[in-house]
Amino acid sequence: MLLLSPILVLAVGGLIVMLIDAFQEQEGGLAMPTALLHFVAAAAALALWQRGVPSDAGSLVHGWLAIDKTTLFLQATIALGGAFASLLAGGYLAEHKLDRGEYYPLIAFSTAGAGLLVAANDMLMVFVALETMSLGVYAMTGFRRTSARSAEAALKYFLLGSFAAALLLMGAALLYTVTGHTDFPGIAAALQAPSPASGAAADDANAAVLAAQFAIKLKISIFAMLLVLVAMAFKVGAVPFHMWTPDAYEGAPTSTTAYMSVVVKAAAFGALLRVFLTVFGDAANASISGGWPAVLSVLAVLTMSVGNLVALTQTSVKRMLAYSSVAHAGYLLLGVVAAPHATAGIAAKSSVLFYLLGYTVSNAGAMGALILAGRRGAETVSYDDLAGYARRHPAAGFALTLFLLSLTGVPPTVGFFGKFYIIRATLDAGYTNLAIIALINSAVSAYYYLGVLVKMYMREPAPGATRAAPMKSFYVVFSLIVAGVLVVWMGLMPERWLSLAAEASGARPAAAAPAEGANNGGAPTPL
Amino acid sequence: MNTGRHLLSVLVWLPALAGLLALFLPRQSPKLLRAYGVAASLFIFGQSLQLLNGTGEAGAASGFRLVENVEWIPSLGIRYHLAVDGISLWLVLLTTFLTPITLYVSFGAIRNRQKEFIAAMLILEAAMIGCFFALDMFLFYVFYEMTLVPMFLIIGVFGGKNSVYAAVKFFLYTFLGSVFMLLAILYMVMQYKTLTGHYSFGYLDLMRLGFPIGTERILFAAFTIAFAVKVPMWPVHTWLPDAHTEAPTGGSMILAAIMLKLGTYGILRFSLGLFPLAAHWIGPTIALLAVVGIVYGALAAWRQYDFKRLVAYSSVSHLGFVMLGLIGRTDSSVSGAMLQMINHGISTGALFLLVGVIYDRRHTRDVAEFGGLAKIMPWYATVFVAVTMSSIGLPGTNGFIGEFLVITGSFSSSLLRWSYRCSSGGDCDLAQIGPLFSLIAATGVILGAIYMLDVVQKVFFGPATNPKNDHLPDLNRREWAGLAPLLFMIFAMGLFPNYFRSRMDPTVHDFLVVYNAKMDALRDPGGARTRAVMLEEAVIRAPSAAAPAAAEPHAALPLRREALLAQGD
Repeated sequence: MLLLSPILVLAVGGLIVMLIDAFQEQEGGLAMPTALLHFVAAAAALALWQRGVPSDAGSLVHGWLAIDKTTLFLQATIALGGAFASLLAGGYLAEHKLDRGEYYPLIAFSTAGAGLLVAANDMLMVFVALETMSLGVYAMTGFRRTSARSAEAALKYFLLGSFAAALLLMGAALLYTVTGHTDFPGIAAALQAPSPASGAAADDANAAVLAAQFAIKLKISIFAMLLVLVAMAFKVGAVPFHMWTPDAYEGAPTSTTAYMSVVVKAAAFGALLRVFLTVFGDAANASISGGWPAVLSVLAVLTMSVGNLVALTQTSVKRMLAYSSVAHAGYLLLGVVAAPHATAGIAAKSSVLFYLLGYTVSNAGAMGALILAGRRGAETVSYDDLAGYARRHPAAGFALTLFLLSLTGVPPTVGFFGKFYIIRATLDAGYTNLAIIALINSAVSAYYYLGVLVKMYMREPAPGATRAAPMKSFYVVFSLIVAGVLVVWMGLMPERWLSLAAEASGARPAAAAPAEGANNGGAPTPL
Repeated sequence: MNTGRHLLSVLVWLPALAGLLALFLPRQSPKLLRAYGVAASLFIFGQSLQLLNGTGEAGAASGFRLVENVEWIPSLGIRYHLAVDGISLWLVLLTTFLTPITLYVSFGAIRNRQKEFIAAMLILEAAMIGCFFALDMFLFYVFYEMTLVPMFLIIGVFGGKNSVYAAVKFFLYTFLGSVFMLLAILYMVMQYKTLTGHYSFGYLDLMRLGFPIGTERILFAAFTIAFAVKVPMWPVHTWLPDAHTEAPTGGSMILAAIMLKLGTYGILRFSLGLFPLAAHWIGPTIALLAVVGIVYGALAAWRQYDFKRLVAYSSVSHLGFVMLGLIGRTDSSVSGAMLQMINHGISTGALFLLVGVIYDRRHTRDVAEFGGLAKIMPWYATVFVAVTMSSIGLPGTNGFIGEFLVITGSFSSSLLRWSYRCSSGGDCDLAQIGPLFSLIAATGVILGAIYMLDVVQKVFFGPATNPKNDHLPDLNRREWAGLAPLLFMIFAMGLFPNYFRSRMDPTVHDFLVVYNAKMDALRDPGGARTRAVMLEEAVIRAPSAAAPAAAEPHAALPLRREALLAQGD
């Protein structure tokens, strides 16, 4: 029970926030309690981490959930992202007269769903958690009820999301038909290639029948795997399943955009990692474990390149950030591609986790800085709106600059280090071409992030155009300061965070690792 | 202030802190801001003079001094490793010397947003100093990238009409170039890990790697393209005239005087230091590009009507000399190239400053707008002619000794030759190109004299035709204050070159000894090597640097690695 506390805190806390909202006289004031709730959830995850996860926690609640360090790391990341989103909402919704209380319980429930998703150890649980998370986000996307774009965004997101969920269910059902299991370890065991020892014991005819049966099983499960892959690709916004992202990101209230781009993405990547590494990760069964990295690497290249190229042509900063978020999903996919590698796998997995954490603070910060630039009735969305912004408001402009540089990957920010770490893992796993493509993409992306800087520092607004001016909000400023400190701190002193991510991915504690390598005298350590 | 053992860290981080602090000063008091900027950068210059301590001529140490080497990101083998040697010493001093001058003279033209200008300049200074000190490839890369944003802002915010285009072009050229360098660094680290079982980004560690020749060529290209763009070598120099024309005077000074040296420094330290075989293979081609750059830059400068473009193209020509000297790989040519880097920093810095002087008065840089200025602004004309003499390398000024050494050094360089593989298996000479190339380079000196004297003649002598120039004031106090130290250095370096050479030549010599030792150890006539190998520690340790290197903890490698070498082959 204690192991579920990060999720439970959010679920119960969400109910309490809802009650407060029902009983309090006037609207507002819920941002800080909700943010605190998220911080408590993050703290709970960290406390569990400190205490050490018991070995049997791998399958909790009859095998529905698995709590390991990966789960806890991602839950903490997600809770941090949720806290940022709540604070940003506290500023944004109030400024734009949208401050209705139901937004905050929605955030809490969605984050609880996201926390479940990264812990899910069963196909049905994945579905339930995915829906728990998504339903709240759909509602948050359409939160601006009077705006047609917001409604359009919510509808698109809802329809495509439901479609993806249906594909996921179909995949899960197919897997159940061939394996008789919905839980990950069960499916994985059933998909294991029949061992030669048992084949030798049975007579030849029997072995041939078994082999034929297994071949059919494999074919169906490969199809099921593709369905699951497509569903996950929808959620992380990978090309060509990214079509909903720009519209949903642009139409949604910006605080929701921040939430979608950090929390939903982190949770979806967590699920993607677990599903593909545990269910389809059996190295002995090459037709499955060898197949999806190739498919994913194609997706990764498409996602990076399309995301970046389309982002180049945008005139709206918010939409540009949407496409850039697609591009970042591409970099992350590289890490997932490298994750099953025998020796470089752990580093690849931890690079994904580190990147998600870094991306959470950078992107939440960028969204927050964009929110800060918009006052009531004059929300800042386009490049032109930002003309001369940093000249007039150096501090606010500097904040946006810092986060955009982190997204570009310029040192000394965490964005640089995250990218560096992922590319290193990709190279380590032998995908040199992918690393080169990612680096070229990273250079391309510099152009559109720079575009914002150019507008802010080097252009003046057209005569008569509205001038962006920062709104006044303690919540937003507070979250920007926290995010800014984290971006620089994690960029300058990444060791601590890296070792956390490495430990979360199953690496032994850092102190033991070099000694081990030294004893082996350079030979690859068998894992 | 006695900075003791952490002098290098102080020199890197003090400007960065001072720059950040500038952002918090009140905008309302520009006097305070200016005083702060100049005082901070002067103080840093004063601190940097401590680098000269213990570099006397007798028994001058050639190895790395003032080493700071602590873990930074141990799980990836990344260390915070700073050190200074004779190669980086003068480049750092050039940086700290020019920054206060640049800041001070810029306040004449830059009236708005001085706060941001000071911050950008100081942070840029920090990043550049970091580049020169870094002995960890990751750390170097971080500093190298950190130079981008301040320079981007300096060009874009404080520059001329098309500055945004120039700033973006500058950023993207450099960024694209450097990502491939990052890839190459990562590849080397992977190989290092395969051979030794642990990660290291240390320059001295990676130096011990030897690659199959094909791989080495690719790695060399990845590094050299990034640096060649920065230098800029012909034919990737096209961003430079744009960036210079649009940058403010101070930006041009820093860009030409120091940032370009990041490229030449990188080529010497990393491209040559890490990949001797590939450098040997491609050397003649680079020398060819260098002499083309010398002549092309000079001819292009001759045809310019815009003062700044003229100086920019002259930079292309001068940097061609530096490249020729570096790729000549003899003691005197490399030493000449090193001197030439410093010389170019000082004389081009002064030239940009002088161009800024008349630009501030007339708001035009068109050479045709001027004539007969010697009568109107006699002091200005005098200083301009003196700097011109330095730029064209007249004896007695700093430019002479550098060019002379480059030309004599590359003339006698046995490494500059075109060869082919002959039937007996070795390399047979097709032609010794050193003499030819140094001959062409020498014509570049003549061309340099032609275009500089041509412009001097047009601008300063003859009748004063343009009435708009009649009442231009001569140099003011601020401009004198900026020019005087530069003039001093021009003659100091011209008359006492040994003071400077004695502090860099031992390092240059040892660098080349290690370079040749590494090349001999790696020579691989049949292309037989198919995988990376580790060289013995002793190969990369220069004879006279043995003692300091042993004192450095990082260089004292465990014996285990030597054992590995045996099984690695």
